[in-house]
Amino acid sequence: MNVNPVVYGVLFVFLAPVFGGLLAGMDRIISARMQSRVGPPLLQPFYDLGKLLQKNARQVNPIAEPLLLGHVGFMAATGAMLLGGTDLVFTAFVLALAALFLVLAAGSVNSPYSHAGAERELIVLLASEPFFILMLAAICKVSGASTFGGVLASPVWVAWQLPGMLLAFSFVATIKLRKSPFDISTSHHAHQELVSGLTSDMSGRLLAYVEMAHWYESAILAAFVVLFFNWAWPLGLGVFAVAYLLEILVDNSTSRAKWQLVLRSSWAVTLLLSGGNVLALFLLK
Amino acid sequence: MSSLIMFLVAFPLAAGALLLAIKNGRLRNVVVVAAAVVVASASVATAVTFGNGEAVFFGLPFDLPASLTLGRLLLVAELAIGAFVIVVSIQNRRILAPLLVGGQIAISLYLEISGKLPEFDLSRLFWFDKLSMIMVLIIGIIGTLICVHSLGYMRDYHRSNPLIKGRRTVFFALLFIFLSAMFGLVTCNYLPAMLVFWEITTLCSFLLIGYTRTKETIGYAFDALNMNMLGGLGFSLAILLLVNGNQTLDLAELTAHAAPAVLMPALALLCLAGLTKSAQMPFSSWLLGAMYAPSPTSALLHSSTMVKAGVFLLLRLSPAIAGSNLGTLVAFTGMLTFLFVSLVAVTEQNTKKVLAYSTIGSLGLIVGCAGLGSPELIWVGMMIIIFHAIAKGLLFLVVGTIENRLYSKDMENFDTLLSRLPKVSALALTGIAGMFIAPFGIVVAKWAAIRAFLEIPGWQGAALLVIMAFGSSLTIFYWGKLLIKVLSMKCVDDAELAIEKRVSRFEWLAEGTLAAGVVAVAASLGVISDKVVGPQALATFAGTSRAFLNIEPAMLVSMIVAVLFLPVLAVWASRQRNWCDEADFYAAGRTTSPDRTMGAALGQTRSVTLRNYYLEGVVNGALVFRAGTVICGAILVALIAVGMVGR
Amino acid sequence: MSFFSKSPWILHYDASSCNGCDIEVLACLTPLYDVERFGVVNTGNPKHADILLITGSVNERNIEIIQNLYRQMPDPKVVVAVGACACSGGIFARAYNIQGGVDKVLPVDVYVPGCAARPESIIDGVVQGISALEEKRKISA
Repeated sequence: MNVNPVVYGVLFVFLAPVFGGLLAGMDRIISARMQSRVGPPLLQPFYDLGKLLQKNARQVNPIAEPLLLGHVGFMAATGAMLLGGTDLVFTAFVLALAALFLVLAAGSVNSPYSHAGAERELIVLLASEPFFILMLAAICKVSGASTFGGVLASPVWVAWQLPGMLLAFSFVATIKLRKSPFDISTSHHAHQELVSGLTSDMSGRLLAYVEMAHWYESAILAAFVVLFFNWAWPLGLGVFAVAYLLEILVDNSTSRAKWQLVLRSSWAVTLLLSGGNVLALFLLK
Repeated sequence: MSSLIMFLVAFPLAAGALLLAIKNGRLRNVVVVAAAVVVASASVATAVTFGNGEAVFFGLPFDLPASLTLGRLLLVAELAIGAFVIVVSIQNRRILAPLLVGGQIAISLYLEISGKLPEFDLSRLFWFDKLSMIMVLIIGIIGTLICVHSLGYMRDYHRSNPLIKGRRTVFFALLFIFLSAMFGLVTCNYLPAMLVFWEITTLCSFLLIGYTRTKETIGYAFDALNMNMLGGLGFSLAILLLVNGNQTLDLAELTAHAAPAVLMPALALLCLAGLTKSAQMPFSSWLLGAMYAPSPTSALLHSSTMVKAGVFLLLRLSPAIAGSNLGTLVAFTGMLTFLFVSLVAVTEQNTKKVLAYSTIGSLGLIVGCAGLGSPELIWVGMMIIIFHAIAKGLLFLVVGTIENRLYSKDMENFDTLLSRLPKVSALALTGIAGMFIAPFGIVVAKWAAIRAFLEIPGWQGAALLVIMAFGSSLTIFYWGKLLIKVLSMKCVDDAELAIEKRVSRFEWLAEGTLAAGVVAVAASLGVISDKVVGPQALATFAGTSRAFLNIEPAMLVSMIVAVLFLPVLAVWASRQRNWCDEADFYAAGRTTSPDRTMGAALGQTRSVTLRNYYLEGVVNGALVFRAGTVICGAILVALIAVGMVGR
Repeated sequence: MSFFSKSPWILHYDASSCNGCDIEVLACLTPLYDVERFGVVNTGNPKHADILLITGSVNERNIEIIQNLYRQMPDPKVVVAVGACACSGGIFARAYNIQGGVDKVLPVDVYVPGCAARPESIIDGVVQGISALEEKRKISA
């Protein structure tokens, strides 16, 4: 069976929102159960998305919407490129660019809440980006491949060689998924100091774009975990599910950290765990 | 070919001399534009004549008279430079610069009088290959555009700074003399001659930084002079060592192969010269001081061309030092500089300084590539030179234009720029996109560098990866902040919009052409890689042949889309007017309006100020800068020591 | 197909309430009532909200705020007045600074009586608000 990787890329564009939406739905149910509630239906995120698309959008300025479309577009493109056989390290840069568009959209708005959210999201980017570059570079180094398909085909068991990186991933993913204690830039809960952070001034379909992009992002993170478990990709998805469960637990049991802590801790983790792992890799090989 | 190069050196020099005599502003405009057109055409003609050929060597198009040897000619030039530096230093009561230049003169005099200087084959005086071609095109096109831009900029500069005494005749003369020296520097193959051009550029930089002649700028000018003279002294010492060791002074021969141990001391000193010129740590402070010069100076000397002379030399030396301890140390100086200045840049609020840090960082990447030296990394280095020269040159010019409109270089005051100066914003966005928006620009180079680092064994490879990962993320942060400021919007009235109408046509011409150039370079990335940079990278390392980035048509299209996305969007968005009626922002239910005001207590109205984060409390910019200077200084000492013992 | 009935997001504003109704509103989110079962989210942000849920009476100082919040909600939107004070001014109706119920300044779609209003009736009010939302969507569509 020899499928052109471009097919996977195209499939990602269509299926990743389904994956991300269902994941968000399960997230909400599990969170509710942890709080002894029943929670919404599994398909609730899709209902929300549908409603947001049906609702009018209040334009805050002419540039926010195209920037958000750029955000979704580049997020989808990142995933498509990742699965479609583009160089892995390169996708790290495109991922950062996609995230940057959200920051720019929020920053273009005049609301102090939105602006503060944008700045904090920029810090989130700064906190997580070094890790993703290192991770993808290390995966390339270990597997000797440079594409998604290549890593899956590689006989090397990536996770065995990159345990520190995997640990650091679970940490940085919390930041990337905007879960407590690292949900500094936005929040799904009411009555926070930032209101809704960088989405404060986005309404209707603009907010729907942000949601969509987030779903793509979750799917990209899942794909990253699969890279670690390249010898059996269902195992990778399983590990992702377990890790996500832990993320929900952490989300529900911690309060929000300050941005200083987010930055310091993620840099420390990246430097010690990922950097250490990379160093060991280069010295031992 | 040789007459073209002679023309490129001689013509700007003559134009500079002519400009010294012209006091009339209108006449000056004509002369500058005409000279710019001639120089740009000549540089294109040079590139066309060179075609797709191999590296060529050639001498002067005419014979020197018997009494005038090349050595004497150069000595006269050096003495003139030295005398000038000494006079200016005494006027300003500085001691270090005369000492440094005195050392250089002593070496030159010794070499000339002792007759030790070996006979040089004049037919190999110039060396022209694809790297020279790239540099000649950058100097010839971008350099002259910046000169044209200055016509408009300087007029407004003196209008908005009435206390500064106008010395525009000197300013434009210096710009053209500088162009002449740069053309000589990048085509020269004879080290003592290269040194003379090197020193002329140092001098031009010194005079342009001190243009306003305030106490502050004179101080910065001398900082720049001292550090670059130190590099020049290193250059002289390298020549002395080479002569004493009966080695060649032919740059191409010197760098044809991995150097034997006996050459290492001289190479180490040449690297020192390259590091000072490209403002790598511990010498970075001079470039920051240089930001007090008028913006076109920053664009021309301190971003697009002169600082490139340093990395140009290092790229030339790369095959000789690659694989040696010296090369590794040079690489780490560059990469650590990249990391440290990127970290400092996130705490900086002065836009010109942010651009300066970013420049030093980009140069650091090139230095890193040159020090490690592989065909891939040379490819990366040259790509960064091209992207950086055009995009950063544009950005400096745009910041200059903004500065003359808003009377500020502070990034915070660029708020809602898109609404206030829409066209200028679009140009700025093109420049920023050219600098860092994936999949275009330096990002491609960074990616290629990471791929190359993966092949480097041992702790060095790991360290370089970590440095690159952090450094490159930091660049996203400071560019992101600048983008937030440029892309934010408010509703403006016609009076505010009129500000942009006062931008001169010279500025529009230069900035517009450069912006078009950014897009053109993006579109022709594949051609540039296949025809110019790739072959040159392979030729640098004799005996290698590898395929470089395979750039597909689809990738090219996406690059052009990526680079045009923000500027086109900005132009479109700034023309929308109907949103102002309903666009209030959320401020906890207070009445707000799209011109950034909100209701406050007791029925008052307050304006809203939004500021960027500068990571106060986490990153101490001054401390990081000092730490970087100390660490890179230590590496530099090690570098010289390693060079001296020849290992 | 309309998604409004499955995803009503609420903005809760406390006008001049004694906090009795507010506590009951929050009670709706607790495990006992768990309104999230119906997709209800308490957003705290007018730009995300479909239903403006107001407790307490309108006073001179918060008229502006209430009107701004309402204006900043994207269409379609409904207003639910919760509790006696929000419906009519309640026991504060004759205080010197009180305007009266929410309907003095906004078009109220659903009145939820009670002092304090019970969670069951608040949820009932929200559900009625949803049908008003559906109607408004049909009119605008």
